[in-house]
Amino acid sequence: MSGPLLLLRRLLVVPPVLLAASVLVFALPRWVDVDPARAVLRARTAEAVPDPATEARVRAELGLDRPVVEQYLRWLGGVLRGDLGLGYVSRTPVVEQVGSAATVSGLLTVLALALAAAVGIPAGVYAARRPGGRWDRFLGAGTIAGVAVPEFVLAPWLVLALAVWAGWLPAIGWGGPEHLVLPVLTLAAYPGALAAQLVRAETVGILQRPHVLLARSKGLSGQRVLWRHGARLATTSVTALAGMFVAGLLGGSVVVEVVFGIPGLGRLLHRAVPAQDLPVIQAGTLVVVAVAVTAGVLVEAVATALDPVRRTAERAG
Amino acid sequence: MIVTTPGVRVLAALTTAAALLAGCGSPSGGGTPDPAGALTVALQFPPRSDYAFDADDGKLLSYLGVAETLTTVDDEAAAAPGLATGWEQDGDTWRFTLRPGVAFHDGTPLTPEVVVTALRHVAGVEAPPRSIRGIGFEIEADGADAVRISTAEPDPVMPLRMSSGNLAILAPAAYAGGGAPDYLRTGTGPLVLDAVNGVESAELLRNDDYWGEPAGAARITVRYVEDPQARALAVQAGDVQFAEGLPAAQLEQVRSAGAEVVAYEGARTVPLQLNQSRAPFDDVRVRRAVTEAIDRPVLAGQVLAGSARPAADLFGPAVPWGATEPPAGADAERARTLLAEAGYGPENPLTVQLWTFPNRPELPTLANAVQAMLGEAGIRVEVTVGNYEAQEPEVLAGQYDMFLNSRSYLSDFPDAASTLTSDYTCAGSYAIDQYCSPAYDALVERLNGTVDPAQRRQLFAEAAGMLTADAVGVMLVHPLNTAVLRGATGFTPDPLQVRPVLPQLIPAG
Repeated sequence: MSGPLLLLRRLLVVPPVLLAASVLVFALPRWVDVDPARAVLRARTAEAVPDPATEARVRAELGLDRPVVEQYLRWLGGVLRGDLGLGYVSRTPVVEQVGSAATVSGLLTVLALALAAAVGIPAGVYAARRPGGRWDRFLGAGTIAGVAVPEFVLAPWLVLALAVWAGWLPAIGWGGPEHLVLPVLTLAAYPGALAAQLVRAETVGILQRPHVLLARSKGLSGQRVLWRHGARLATTSVTALAGMFVAGLLGGSVVVEVVFGIPGLGRLLHRAVPAQDLPVIQAGTLVVVAVAVTAGVLVEAVATALDPVRRTAERAG
Repeated sequence: MIVTTPGVRVLAALTTAAALLAGCGSPSGGGTPDPAGALTVALQFPPRSDYAFDADDGKLLSYLGVAETLTTVDDEAAAAPGLATGWEQDGDTWRFTLRPGVAFHDGTPLTPEVVVTALRHVAGVEAPPRSIRGIGFEIEADGADAVRISTAEPDPVMPLRMSSGNLAILAPAAYAGGGAPDYLRTGTGPLVLDAVNGVESAELLRNDDYWGEPAGAARITVRYVEDPQARALAVQAGDVQFAEGLPAAQLEQVRSAGAEVVAYEGARTVPLQLNQSRAPFDDVRVRRAVTEAIDRPVLAGQVLAGSARPAADLFGPAVPWGATEPPAGADAERARTLLAEAGYGPENPLTVQLWTFPNRPELPTLANAVQAMLGEAGIRVEVTVGNYEAQEPEVLAGQYDMFLNSRSYLSDFPDAASTLTSDYTCAGSYAIDQYCSPAYDALVERLNGTVDPAQRRQLFAEAAGMLTADAVGVMLVHPLNTAVLRGATGFTPDPLQVRPVLPQLIPAG
């Protein structure tokens, strides 16, 4: 089977997965033992005391007095038409809210992954050149720190060093390129460190394989063997992980977005959940699921293209 | 296995940074006031509902100094002139005379018809603001310079109601679209809302044609920053010159950076609510034992590190009718004696459940301290920290023992009748304590016919005294509000949080 056909076959799985996900995305917030109308009123007006008449009007206004199945079908129809209605609290279009937030988080995710790859992969390959050497030991310590130090510790450290002490960057905010630096550095630390560790381990193993040893014996230079044979195969495993990171960073960068005051998807969901803003929760979660599934498929295809063994096996199958 | 949630991680970020930053920073003093300069401020609460007047966002426009109401309040929490210069009551109608010569930011004049349009709009939404909900609110123009507001029953506090930020008046153009009012350049306040960037920021310009005291800054950029640590860092990094709502853990770090920290009273109480619809708290001796066992000065001064005042009654020093003297400390011996009189002791120990929620970070901390204090008196307390939205139906139904709550007792305008009614009367809609006293209800009923502010204050104090005497829960602390200035001056605290804050601020170079 050719590459495009393989990709098409994989992409055909996406719609049914998303349909199943839509049921869960719709149902899960409703399983929480909280009355959405009451929660919405309290989100609009803090400490609003119970007022059954007002709550009933709001419930009717939001369509929450209709049967759940009808609510789901109406919502699904809206999703298919690209009309996700208005947020319960903000009363502004959900498409705009989620679209804007997903764009912000998407930008952060792409930049963080690009930085992680640009630094982590060459560092890992370079360390594999001499296992146990000085650079390898240094990288080992650095990547352990990168994996171990959580975002909620790293973010304040970076702000302290680069915004408060050095005064080079703003501590918070969103708008200019200068606002990207600290959050991208924070988000890139973990995937960058993990990529470096993985690439280093894979490359060390690959450099011992017979075809690489043969290439060396034929007189290929050390650098060429390292980067062409070692690095290329080693990046396959990192590519496979990238799909996981895309979804994780897109939906899970709550801490970074809250600490730096970034209007991304994580912060949007962080606000929407306690307010029971169901249209925002549902749309935001569905976007994360859709991106995760699509990224998984695409990354799998890229990994196959990079790995001749997998490529051959797939075509045969 | 350690499981962390985003909320826990955010909290951990705050703690980490607080530990890192204590004592760090470069000194920075005040400076020379520069009214021609610009400011950037970090505010705590973003406009969640697109500045809608039927939500808390409506008050935000007043807080910013953009929109104004017919009245404001003075230091005694009495109504004071705003867009109206005077008012008089005639039965179930109040007549408000409008201030002459007021123009909206778009140049149109303030007229009775504009006021009618604005207030009819907000009164006509699905869930009108609490300040005018359920009172039969109606409004019409009365001549060239006044409006008449009538209610189903004579209303003693209409001038105070009109100070609610939810009832601000915008220019006719704001309502032309038929939907939510357009708030850009349609207010009357000392600052013009020039641009809005969603829930992230807003741009304000000085209104050079303002009818009153002009704003202290020529331009103000408002950033909405919900994370307290981020606000503290922004002050330290010099990103903002004013920030509000910094918890105690962050105050030392901004102080060390040369910032001026202002802590002031707030109209909020943290009550330990006791379910009086069933044992053991249907017995006043047990309730008094709990009161005696809790050391409120220690809670405020040590457990909360001075970020709150110990509460002697429901109200406290934020309002003129609240108690100003601190309460006595704990008397565990007296508590044990009261418990013994009620039939509890080593042979028959008392075990109760205490529920609270984490939305306000001080509550779980206080719950643990209360648990320890009551343990000293022989009361075993099992603490559960859960979701408020899930707990509320249970506590309102009387299915609990003790509930640690946090309550703002002035809902939308500085009058306590609403809270005294909803929280403590027999038919109150938020009567968590399940307290029911005909004498108390009769006292609160008298508020309906009392117009004189001094008499109302007297009744508020009497009602609070009755709640204290009946040990209707234990009022633990009144949290303090905080504001931080670094590169700005002119901030005057307003415990009632009615008067606008940003117009006072002056850049200081």
